[in-house]
Amino acid sequence: MVKMSLDPVQVKELNVSPSPNGDSRASWEEEEVEEEEEDRLGIATKTKPVSVTDLSSVSPSLCFRLAARMSRTQKLSLPDSRFPFQEASDRGSSELFTTSLFKVWCLRCPPVAHQWGGASDKVTGRRARKVEGGVFFPKPENAVTVAVSSRVLFRTELEQRVFEQKGVEEYLRYQIEHENEPFAPGPAFPFVKALETVNARLRELYPQSEELFDIVLVTYNHAHVGIRLINTINHHNLFIERFCMTGGSSPIGYLKAWQTNLYLSADADKVREALAEGIAAATMFMTEKLTEVSESQLRVAFDGDAVLFSDESERIFKAHGLDKFFQHEQDNEDTLLDHGPLKGFLEALGKLQKKFYAKGQRLDCPIRTYLVTARSAASSGIRALKTLRAWGLEIDEALFLAGAPKGPMLEKIRPHIYFDDQMFHVEGAAEMGTVAAHVPYGVAQKHNQPQKPGARK
Amino acid sequence: MEMVSTVQNTDVKQKDADRALVVAVTTRAVFDAAAGDVYGMGVAFPLLQKVNERLLEKNPAESLLFDVVLIATDSQQQSSRIISSTSHYGLEVGRFCFSSREDLVETLVVNNVQLFLSTDRDEALQVSQKGVLSALLGRQEAPSESLRVMLCGDAIVRPDCDPVPASRGAAQSFSARLGEMRGRFGVSGSPLSIVLVTSSGGSKSCGVALQTLRSRGLSVDEAYCLAGAPRGPILSLLRPHFLLGDGVIDLED
Repeated sequence: MVKMSLDPVQVKELNVSPSPNGDSRASWEEEEVEEEEEDRLGIATKTKPVSVTDLSSVSPSLCFRLAARMSRTQKLSLPDSRFPFQEASDRGSSELFTTSLFKVWCLRCPPVAHQWGGASDKVTGRRARKVEGGVFFPKPENAVTVAVSSRVLFRTELEQRVFEQKGVEEYLRYQIEHENEPFAPGPAFPFVKALETVNARLRELYPQSEELFDIVLVTYNHAHVGIRLINTINHHNLFIERFCMTGGSSPIGYLKAWQTNLYLSADADKVREALAEGIAAATMFMTEKLTEVSESQLRVAFDGDAVLFSDESERIFKAHGLDKFFQHEQDNEDTLLDHGPLKGFLEALGKLQKKFYAKGQRLDCPIRTYLVTARSAASSGIRALKTLRAWGLEIDEALFLAGAPKGPMLEKIRPHIYFDDQMFHVEGAAEMGTVAAHVPYGVAQKHNQPQKPGARK
Repeated sequence: MEMVSTVQNTDVKQKDADRALVVAVTTRAVFDAAAGDVYGMGVAFPLLQKVNERLLEKNPAESLLFDVVLIATDSQQQSSRIISSTSHYGLEVGRFCFSSREDLVETLVVNNVQLFLSTDRDEALQVSQKGVLSALLGRQEAPSESLRVMLCGDAIVRPDCDPVPASRGAAQSFSARLGEMRGRFGVSGSPLSIVLVTSSGGSKSCGVALQTLRSRGLSVDEAYCLAGAPRGPILSLLRPHFLLGDGVIDLED
């Protein structure tokens, strides 16, 4: 577990034993109940020196209080070089924490030692696709539908080049010629595999339930490519039974017909169209470096502003600068943020998580969610947490980076997918091997400048 | 006693009877009795004609064209009215058949009809049970760039479960001819689109359907594998003009 000291404030040492449900209360927290009302971030009248050496089993409500006390009772100076939302130039730093920054790593429950995709998890050869019992064709309204395009599920760069250079007829001829050669896995592949793992666990616990992930292949490829795609699905033992090959017309209508909860595509225009229709969507890119991810636990990480929340705060920052942003956040601390495009998907994940908790599997839950935000816990982060709480949404881990680069943190978390509205962060994550998806939403899109030249497919 | 008379439409150049893809439709599917407007088939007709035009553009001697037979089964309808309406709306009907309900199937067989189009599900089912391939006409007024022919793959994949085994042979030969016609055009910009939908069964069975059709010479443009999901929402997006399939298609959106 990461040990850290908080500068310039000294926090009292905590002797906390983690409780099974992660909601441990520290001794000093109990003391404070007299001073402050339950569940209210009050202002402490006297400042107590308090030091924390291990925040691993700190509950979010404790973090709230901690952060609130810090912001109100202590003087915190944020170094000038670190601003939320700023495109920092020195993002190569591998230091997770610097003493000049204040970050609080809030954990809702202690992370269980995870398998990092060991040999026992790997599937060698084809496993039998027939499984005893369970629902395999859930109704779209009951399932969490994730639509993926063929270009993000598989690697099709070579075929893309044929299409671009030689036209559609040659492209299809090429595809048919290579029909029995399966495509290699693409950036969405590990994510989809993880969804299937969750499904397997859900079916064990609730064999008759249709509340599962339903993965649909939605591509505007021509059906001539269909046989190759189906062969590839079979080759990789994927459980994709539904698809739409629209032969060139827009797939957006089909997304709505399937009641899609999340759409992943390589085409930013299609993603924008989907977002405009109220469907959570993100653009994915192929990365050369891919960190190994868990095969037993689905991990989804979200940026806060313009992803889970609206871009209202970002607008203030962009228009009026950092100070105004902080002021605005403080003034509006008790006003909920408006929702962002991925809020619904987090909600859907939460619903499935609760199904595991109901069967006593909180510690071993195969779904874990993360908030990775440039907000800082002491100030602007409070509003984010309050908003999530008011929405009834739970997030397992909230990481407030106060403007630090996200790459190194994501590399530690190893999510199967990370959603961010800024290309800068998406690229930064990708450089360190995290599969990041761009949500082209909000004011940041006017400022998005891809750092690397070359086509993204 | 049978009273079937066939009249050739002199306004329209006759097709080669052996090579044409003969499609029959009843007057009910074409003319709404009350309004006297072209309906149902009304949307499909111009698109079907466009296919013929484009085929002839490529090859003026083309013989694989759509040949439309208009069948009147209602003795109340005046033959002269039907012919003049057809002319008025510029419908490319090759032949008129004045028949009766009871003689419908015989009329179809005698005229070598390869596909019977109807807006009436029961009528379509009855006809296909007698061995003539039937399809439902899509009820939509939205404009389209191409004539969209939809095939239901479930019967293709599991012929033993085909609810209408009698028309299976007709279905196979029709897909071969349709495939040949489709093959005259390129992948994009074709006036004819072939859409495959499988309702039950997973992606693997849809793959089998694609391969089976391909082996008959029919390359599909769009493919949708529903795997048990409700058909209505998808069908309303697909907007097929002709729905061939499993005999129990519910066209309700």
